[in-house]
Amino acid sequence: MNKAMKCTAGTAEQYVLLQVNNLVKHYDSRSGLWGKITGNPGSLVQAVDGVSLTINRGETLGLIGESGCGKSTLGRAILRLHEPTSGSVTFDGTDVTKLDADSLKKMRRRMQIIFQDPYASLNPRKTIEDIIGTALRLQGVAKSSDIRGCVTQLLENVGLKPDHMTRFPHQFSGGQRQRIGIARALALNPEFIVCDEPVSALDVSIQAQVIQLLDDLKRELGLTYLFISHDISVIGYISDHIAVMYLGDIVETGPTKQILTDPQHPYTQALLSAVPRVDGSGTGDRVKLTGDLPSPINPPKGCKFHTRCPYAKDECQLKKPEHHELKNGLTVACHLVTGN
Amino acid sequence: MTQSSETTAEQSIIDLDSVESGTSLWEDAWNRLQQNKLAMFGLYVVSFMIIIALLTPWITPYSYFEQDLDLGATAPSAAHWLGTDTLGRDLLTRIMYGSRISLMVGFLATAVALSIGVLWGTVSGYFGGRVDAFMMRTVDILYALPFTIFIILLMVVFGRNILLLFMAIGAVEWLTMARIVRGQVLSIRQQEYIDAAITMGLPKRQIMLRHVIPNTLGTIIIYVTLTIPNVILLESFLSFLGLGVQPPQSSWGLLISYGVETMEEYPWLLIFPAVVLSVTLFSLNFLGDGLRDALDPKASRD
Repeated sequence: MNKAMKCTAGTAEQYVLLQVNNLVKHYDSRSGLWGKITGNPGSLVQAVDGVSLTINRGETLGLIGESGCGKSTLGRAILRLHEPTSGSVTFDGTDVTKLDADSLKKMRRRMQIIFQDPYASLNPRKTIEDIIGTALRLQGVAKSSDIRGCVTQLLENVGLKPDHMTRFPHQFSGGQRQRIGIARALALNPEFIVCDEPVSALDVSIQAQVIQLLDDLKRELGLTYLFISHDISVIGYISDHIAVMYLGDIVETGPTKQILTDPQHPYTQALLSAVPRVDGSGTGDRVKLTGDLPSPINPPKGCKFHTRCPYAKDECQLKKPEHHELKNGLTVACHLVTGN
Repeated sequence: MTQSSETTAEQSIIDLDSVESGTSLWEDAWNRLQQNKLAMFGLYVVSFMIIIALLTPWITPYSYFEQDLDLGATAPSAAHWLGTDTLGRDLLTRIMYGSRISLMVGFLATAVALSIGVLWGTVSGYFGGRVDAFMMRTVDILYALPFTIFIILLMVVFGRNILLLFMAIGAVEWLTMARIVRGQVLSIRQQEYIDAAITMGLPKRQIMLRHVIPNTLGTIIIYVTLTIPNVILLESFLSFLGLGVQPPQSSWGLLISYGVETMEEYPWLLIFPAVVLSVTLFSLNFLGDGLRDALDPKASRD
C-alpha cells in the first residue's frame, strides 16, 4: 500500500486515463435454432448504444441515470466483464477491447470494480484473509507472512480491524462488507476503479462513511473512479465531472458544478428538479417527467427522450441529436440546445 | 423491549469476538458437526460398519460359503448369534461379508458418480452457451438409455465383474449429479464474487475450483447421501436379477431378497439383514444432513 502511494500519489497532471469511444453493448436473443423454427424474431436489447466518455487521471466521473438505463452495463463493458459489441475502450493508451486473454489479465489488475450488492460480492465460504489474499497472491506477494501483513494494512486502510481477517463475510454488516469489497479492489493496486452503485444498498448513515472513505482513498492513492449511481447528491459530492445517461445514451456531460447549477438537457433538468428539498424551494419550476422509461428493446426513434420530453418538437422524433459542446463546458445532445 | 434488544446486540458483539481464533473452514465444520448429536451418531455407526467390513475375514469364526445341510436353518443361538440360513451358513458372517460388497459398491459407485457429475456439471454450467448445450444433450441421450439393458449389454461384452458393476452404476448415477450441479453453477455464476474473481484475473480453472464448486457443496453432500443408499439398493436389484453379485458371495440386497422367500418360516433371515441395511442408510442420511449444516459457514452463529 505504501508502495502504491509513492507510485501514484501526486501525479495529478491532466491527462486522459480512460477513453471510451462509441461503445455499444447489445444483448441479442434473435439468433438460435428455436428462433428459426418458430420464426420468432426475438429481441435485441440495446443496453449501451454508442457511448463515448473521457476520464482524466485522478478524477472521478459520476455516471447518473434511472434504473435500467444501462449504467452498470456500461461499467462492466468497460472492464470486459460483459464483452462489448463494438466500440473501443482505451486505457492508458491501450485498447482494452482488442487485448488477448493474457494481456487482458495483466490489464485487469489496473482496472478494478466495487460492486453494488455487498452480500453477493463476497464468497460466503471464504474468510476475509482468503478473499483479499487471493488478489495479493495474484499480484505476486508470495510468502504467507507477507500476505498477512498486506491484508492487515489493507483492512486498516479501509477502517477495519486486522483481527477481522479470520472471519467470514456473513459476520459483517453491509457497510463493513462494502469496506471489504473496497479492500479487495485495492489489493491489486489498481489505477482505475469502477464503483458500481457502491452505496445504494447501504443505510444512509453508512453511505456517508463509505463515500468519505472512497474519496479519501482516491486522494491518498491517486485513484481514478467511474462512479455509477442514481443518487444525484452522492454523485454531486464525489464527482469532478458528471455524465447523464438515458436509455443507453449519454445525453449530457460536463463539470459537476455546471451540471448541478445550470443543466441544459431537459432530462438533466428533470432529474435535478426531482431532488426533494427540505426548505421547499424550487418546487414551483419542477420539470415533471411523464410515463416510464421506454424499453431498450425498441427504443424511440430520433432523440430517445422525445417521448417524455416536455419540449419535444417534430425534429426530435426524426433525427438523433449530435453531441455539441457549449461555452460553459457542457456537452449536450439535444436539438433544443444549440449553444449559440 | 429495549432491554432485550440491548442484550441481543451485546450477544452479537461477544459472538463476533469469540470467532477471532483462526479456524479454517474444515476445523470449524468439525466443531459444528460434533455439536450435532444425530450426525455424530450417524458417523459412529457408519465408521463401525466400515471397520467391521474391513476386519471381517479375521474376526469371524465361520466362512461365508461352507454349507452345513444337516444343520439347516436355525434360530439365533449362542453359537450362531443371528441364526443360520437354509443351507446352514452363519447369518452374521454372511451379513458381514455382504457389508463388504454393499458398502464398497455404495461408496465407490457414488465416488465415480460424484467425480464425473461434478466436473461435467460445473464445466457445462460455467461455460454455458454451446458447450452447455452439447454437454447437457449428451446427458439427455444417456438418460434415455434403459438402465437394465445397458447393464446387461456391459455384462455381455465385458463379462461379469464386480468392478464393472461399480462403473455401470456410477455411469448412470452421475447423470443426475451433473444436472443438479449445473443448476447450482448457473445461479452461482451470476453472483458478483465471480465477477470480482474475473476482474482480479483469476484463471477460469481456479474460479471453478475455489469459488464455484465450494458453493455447490451443500447440495452435493445432500445428493451424495441420497445416492449411496440408492446405489446399495440398485446393487441388490441387480443381484436379484442375477446381474450383480453371485452366490455364494453375499450382499445385503441379496440376503434380503433370499430372506423374503422364506420370510414365513424363518423370519430372522429377512429381519436381520433388513435392520442392518436400514440402520446404515439412516446413519448415512443423518451424517449427510449434519455435514451440510456443518459446512455452511452461515450456520455457525445459530
